[in-house]
Amino acid sequence: MSSEPQRRGSREAYDYDEGNGYPSEQHALRLRWVSSRASNQSYPQHDLSSTPAEENEEGDSGPPRDLRAIPLPMALKRAVRQVQQMQVPVVSSRQSWRRKRTKSLHELKEKARESLYFFTLWRKSLQKIGGNFGGGVQSYFLFLRFLVVLNFVSFLLIAGFVLIPSIVFRSAGTSLINSTGPDECKVYDPNSQGLVEFYKYFLDLLSGTGFMEYSYLFYGYYSNTMVENRNVSYNIPLAYLFTAIFYFVFCLICIIARMGTTARVAVATGGSAVGNYSVIVFTGWDYGCQGDRATKLKQKNVHYRLQVDLEEESRKKRAAALTLCQKIALYSLRVFMCFVAFGLIIAAFYGIFVATNFSQTKSGEEGILGLFFEYLPSIVITTGNFVVPLLCDQIALLERYTPSTTVIVALLRAVFLRLVSLGVLLFTLWDQITCKGDIDSHDCKLCQYNYKVHPCWETRVGQEMYKLTMFDLLVNIALLVLVEFPRRMVVDNWSSKLAQWVGRQEFVVSTNVLGLVYGQTVVWTGALFCPLLPLINTIKFVLLFYFRKVTLFYNCRPALKTFRSTTSTFFFLVVLTFGWCLATAVMIYSLAEIRPSMGCGPFRFFPSMWSIVPTSFYRLSTITQDFLFFIGSQAFSIPLFALSCVVMCYFIALASVYGKSVALLRAQLKLEGRDKQFLVKQIEKLSRQHQILKHTAGAYE
Amino acid sequence: MGTTASQLGKDLLSEYQELTFLTKQEILLAHKRFAELLTKDEKDLPNTRLPMERILTLPELKSNPFRRRICLVFSTSQHKDGSLTFEDFLDLLSAFSDSATMEIKSHYAFRIFDFDDDGTLDYGDLERLVNCLTGETDDTRLTDEEMRQLISNILEESDIDKDGTVNLSEFQHVISRSPDFVSSFKIVL
Repeated sequence: MSSEPQRRGSREAYDYDEGNGYPSEQHALRLRWVSSRASNQSYPQHDLSSTPAEENEEGDSGPPRDLRAIPLPMALKRAVRQVQQMQVPVVSSRQSWRRKRTKSLHELKEKARESLYFFTLWRKSLQKIGGNFGGGVQSYFLFLRFLVVLNFVSFLLIAGFVLIPSIVFRSAGTSLINSTGPDECKVYDPNSQGLVEFYKYFLDLLSGTGFMEYSYLFYGYYSNTMVENRNVSYNIPLAYLFTAIFYFVFCLICIIARMGTTARVAVATGGSAVGNYSVIVFTGWDYGCQGDRATKLKQKNVHYRLQVDLEEESRKKRAAALTLCQKIALYSLRVFMCFVAFGLIIAAFYGIFVATNFSQTKSGEEGILGLFFEYLPSIVITTGNFVVPLLCDQIALLERYTPSTTVIVALLRAVFLRLVSLGVLLFTLWDQITCKGDIDSHDCKLCQYNYKVHPCWETRVGQEMYKLTMFDLLVNIALLVLVEFPRRMVVDNWSSKLAQWVGRQEFVVSTNVLGLVYGQTVVWTGALFCPLLPLINTIKFVLLFYFRKVTLFYNCRPALKTFRSTTSTFFFLVVLTFGWCLATAVMIYSLAEIRPSMGCGPFRFFPSMWSIVPTSFYRLSTITQDFLFFIGSQAFSIPLFALSCVVMCYFIALASVYGKSVALLRAQLKLEGRDKQFLVKQIEKLSRQHQILKHTAGAYE
Repeated sequence: MGTTASQLGKDLLSEYQELTFLTKQEILLAHKRFAELLTKDEKDLPNTRLPMERILTLPELKSNPFRRRICLVFSTSQHKDGSLTFEDFLDLLSAFSDSATMEIKSHYAFRIFDFDDDGTLDYGDLERLVNCLTGETDDTRLTDEEMRQLISNILEESDIDKDGTVNLSEFQHVISRSPDFVSSFKIVL
């Protein structure tokens, strides 16, 4: 038995040293079948680490990859290697050159990977979190790290193209366009305060007014000059515009690239409905779990998942067996509950609308009360974001969906609430700036925006977004200090029934991710008006990472009830894309529709922010103009569109062909299995007959 | 261990790098951790074989419900007692490392789950596997009815040739559809 593996060569899938009473024919058959499958290398697997494909192309591309992937003990691998080394292959010089090149490339990749190992941000912390709390919580922190890096790179972009040129060319440069328009619109005096008290600096820091208003932080400080020396020519307004647009496009590309890797996997698994139980049982254990406590929690988690799935199955069977009357009752209950949920959300929106208007009317107040009125919209939004999802959770329970559907429905409602509440805030701002869209009304007639209330409306919008970001951070800190630490101290030291029932805090991944998505959407919306907001957000997210880590390890117990779909990175990125769409809509509207302020900013005296592009376009040389016109014309874009349609159709056809071949292979597997069973039965029958013959022959002798 | 000295020789180190998926730092760290488990006199002997109980004192393995099966699978001892030499230990870490391929991981996962070592996962193997996953205490065990339903569901999903057991290829087919497997089948020192 043990001599068989060596005869079959190095591609052995199994290696038994003894038969253990196993019928030898079956074993041989199984080995042969298994080893042929292994050598085919045609598993539908992901290219997660090594790439077997390139191995097959090169043929025998270097021993290292082959040897390591053999599932044999070290001593046997050594023996295989000796055998391989003794076989001197007859290769042409070209083949050996190619082999050397791949080997050195491979070594270079290994060295690069090892050095990158040291530079990955927070690698050890993430490993520790994953080991102690599982993959779901770790995915939240991975998402947070992705956002930190995204914000930091965006800040470098903005600094390089807008901030530093503005600082360098502050005094130099000529104005791009002569000032036109009435003089009242050009009045903008943000530093009108004279001597201020000390505590006012702190209030100004939190709300972006006072000394912070006329600074590089906000739109109003940037000049609309263009520098044109002998050596260098830099158009600051154009740079501002293009940087903002490119920032959005860059963020979208990053999100889609990250989605691409996770989506490939999600599509390959083809919907987690089929094969759910096997996947949980075979792949459910996390071998990185360390410590008794983490292990017991993981076991409870697996137990809970299995129970939930089994219960869902029996529930589905029961639901299929409902009578018509019961079905109608259930669906009407669900529709009614949907309306209730929407009613709650609309009530929250109305509250935000009222609060924003009220805050605007009281914007002249001083001191702490003034700060309270400044932050009133943020307070109402945060309260709504806290209360309404709780109520939605209860509503979702009443609707009696299956548990996983319940969680997803509640989450989507919370996402809707958070993003659209931000939209309502922006709507009320728009209301005030453009006098409810009526350009010819009394206040807006002169400058086409409400110059009395908002002499520099872009800075005002930037300030609102800045306040939202700061308030979010302050609320997080306050919750950490005032709620989470005391809760844990109470639960640990006070052994009453109430304390045990409340229990330690649970780290709920989905709510935290929604908070991150909301924060990032606010930053995207405000980036056009507050260019340093990505930097502030980077710092905020870095602080948030450490706060969350501290609270995770000291105050929390892991959530028992986790669902794969809601902790998946793909789901987070889809929700982030919703936020991006909202921010893009706001940006496009501000660029195209509203007239920029005449008293401040790089676009003063232009009819709209976008109109700088045509102005600068006509300053280019004729050849460039003609080339750009050609690209934009129909003669170019229609063939391009047709070509991309063709390419897309090709990929769709390819995908369907792969799906069909997968189905075919599965059917083939089934047939082969049946053939194997038939052959095994035949062998048993024949061997029995053989035994009987021998017996009778022996009896005759 | 391959050498009597407490340091690994350079060619031995490069040989291990060729034969396993571990990087140089990981091999050195494994050497250090393995040496910590040896007693004083054992340090001088080459190719010491550590009994299973001492291997299981490592914090990475101590609370793993599959710890005994892992030691038994990677052990090359004649007596099948789960004792590991340093090279067995390196094989273990290589299969559980970051860069190991899906095939190697699924192969060893199959062998770990095959409690009776007969080459397939039958009802008994699956039952013991589920009990390991959910814990052996009374409040985390599945009831008999649930267990029967669960195992019949598993066999229905993964047993393609309908012989009542899950063999290696069927197992690897199920694993290949799970994106988490490679990242969860990992033990890093």
